[in-house]
Amino acid sequence: MNKESNNYTIIYAAVMVIIVAIGLAFTSQVLKERQAKNEAVDKMRQILRAANIESTADDADKKYDAFIVADYAIDKNGEKVSDNGFVVEMVEELRKTPENRKYPVFEALIDGESYYILALRGAGLWGPIWGYIALKDDKNMVYGADFSHQGETPGLGAEITTAAFSKQFENKRIAIDNVFKSIAIVKKGKKVDNQDFVDGISGGTITSQGVNDMLFNSLKGYEAFLNKKSKL
Amino acid sequence: MQEIINVFVRSIFIDNMIFAYFLGMCSFLAVSKNINTAIGLGAAVVFVLTTTLPLNYLLENYVLKEGALVWISEDLKTVDLSFLSFIIFIAVIASFVQLVEMVIEKISSELYASLGIFLPLIAVNCAILGGSLFMQQKEFGSIAVATSYAAGSGVGWALAIVAMAAIREKLKYSDVPKPLRGLGITIIITALMGVAFMCFSGIKI
Amino acid sequence: MDAKRKKIVLDPIFKNNPVIVQMLGVCSALAVTSKLEPSIVLGISVIVVLTFANFIISLIRNTIPSRIRIIVQLVIVAALVTIVSEVLKAYAYEVNKQLSVFVGLIITNCIIMGRLEAFALANKPIDSILDGVGNGTGYALILVAVGFVRELFGSGTLLGFQVIPQFLYDLGYENNGMMILPPMALITVATLIWIHRSKDKSLQEN
Repeated sequence: MNKESNNYTIIYAAVMVIIVAIGLAFTSQVLKERQAKNEAVDKMRQILRAANIESTADDADKKYDAFIVADYAIDKNGEKVSDNGFVVEMVEELRKTPENRKYPVFEALIDGESYYILALRGAGLWGPIWGYIALKDDKNMVYGADFSHQGETPGLGAEITTAAFSKQFENKRIAIDNVFKSIAIVKKGKKVDNQDFVDGISGGTITSQGVNDMLFNSLKGYEAFLNKKSKL
Repeated sequence: MQEIINVFVRSIFIDNMIFAYFLGMCSFLAVSKNINTAIGLGAAVVFVLTTTLPLNYLLENYVLKEGALVWISEDLKTVDLSFLSFIIFIAVIASFVQLVEMVIEKISSELYASLGIFLPLIAVNCAILGGSLFMQQKEFGSIAVATSYAAGSGVGWALAIVAMAAIREKLKYSDVPKPLRGLGITIIITALMGVAFMCFSGIKI
Repeated sequence: MDAKRKKIVLDPIFKNNPVIVQMLGVCSALAVTSKLEPSIVLGISVIVVLTFANFIISLIRNTIPSRIRIIVQLVIVAALVTIVSEVLKAYAYEVNKQLSVFVGLIITNCIIMGRLEAFALANKPIDSILDGVGNGTGYALILVAVGFVRELFGSGTLLGFQVIPQFLYDLGYENNGMMILPPMALITVATLIWIHRSKDKSLQEN
């Protein structure tokens, strides 16, 4: 058979594409379960980090079971709508109208104190940023926070993942005199009145602004829930 | 609109393909001895990047991503073809480059002589595939932003090799230690230019 | 193993190293060398992809129509890289996050296309495997060396463990933050080239 004929070339390309596609689909199916588990573990570690608990990939699910006593989802009015908060993905919720959104809440019990961990999601400079923020029993004072990003510039915007940045949030208040304010991110040395604030990342102004907006927009969705001082 | 300009400027100066990620260094080092060839290759990269990246953006968002096929039918919501993205991206780039090469050859022999010779080099230029992979990672909101990112990255790349070629032309007259001549000193100069470019974002050590 | 085959493997590791002699393929990888662990993982990935790609292309080298040669090579490399990337996602999730797009960029790594064109298309499968192992290792070696230097001086750690003793810090030693920044990867490679060419004078350029 002539190797350089058109027919041979086309058949060759087609056969190759089919073999490769089948091979890849097979690999992807085989590994899918493990990948999904890794993603779940990663999410658990982020939630635990917000509550100031360090974990490794191996003990994350044990620690998660030990410290997170309840997870559920609430709606805009602060009413419980689902008993499984872990499966709620903010990416998907944000595509819905505010009335239909579900917001996940994780309740943690650490050394006899209970905390509420809420999910955050927004946009940084280059892509999505997200995180979790843990509130104390009064649903106002911050206990801890953790941020993640996908494509921020290393050394600049990417610094939001560091403890140096997230530790600043401790003991800041979301509401002042029962009025919802969120927490502002400001340039180092600047101040805002009537609101708690933390220093932004120098050189990462747009990412810092993104965190600022993410906190306001995401926490706003929890406003009704936070105002209910009784347990759900 | 503001976002488009913002992304454009940042991808030229701050997230520069060469100085921040070293992408496309192979052809960069091979070509940048002479300014005219550097300009030719730079133009070719800008062109291929700004055309293939939006194409890949559409493929990513309407075919490959999890749930991207919803526009065909709601049932396909859980289909996730992202494992095919490497193959699709590189196939789009390689076949596009081939196509452009053939078209340019037919239309103008002059353009082919100045630009066409670089095209085969470009299919395997890391900056082009890198652009598409970064696009996938950064999840741009619209095709306009993605195109602006592509143009910015291309211009940033071209700027880097033209500047580099200019410095290398002068380098002929300097007395460099023998083992460093050629490759060594070129890499060091690239690094120093990278450091200089960092001032655009404010160095944080 | 006869002398010729030994040469195929060992030559590209030291004497004719693809990175510091031919400056191939450095582009797509230096950005991850600020830590040792991702450098090692990326190095191993390149060895695996290059070995298998060399083997497969060499096996089918007599059937490939010349007009679509480049596309066939790219598709096979891209498929192998996809498999590596999926495996990393499943078994080395954290490292894979650090590597981000750079796993995908193995596809356009000039070493891979270069070896396929220069070696696998003209040689027997077994020799091609050896060539892949040799060149991949030569490449990985440079990545690991750069990652080692940068993590040691930049963060005072290796693979995440602190190796610079605490009392040095107490005496006033500081990590060199400059080492973490991208340009220092290039300077480290340039230094390696300098050392290599001081020893092997035949490689010096004028």
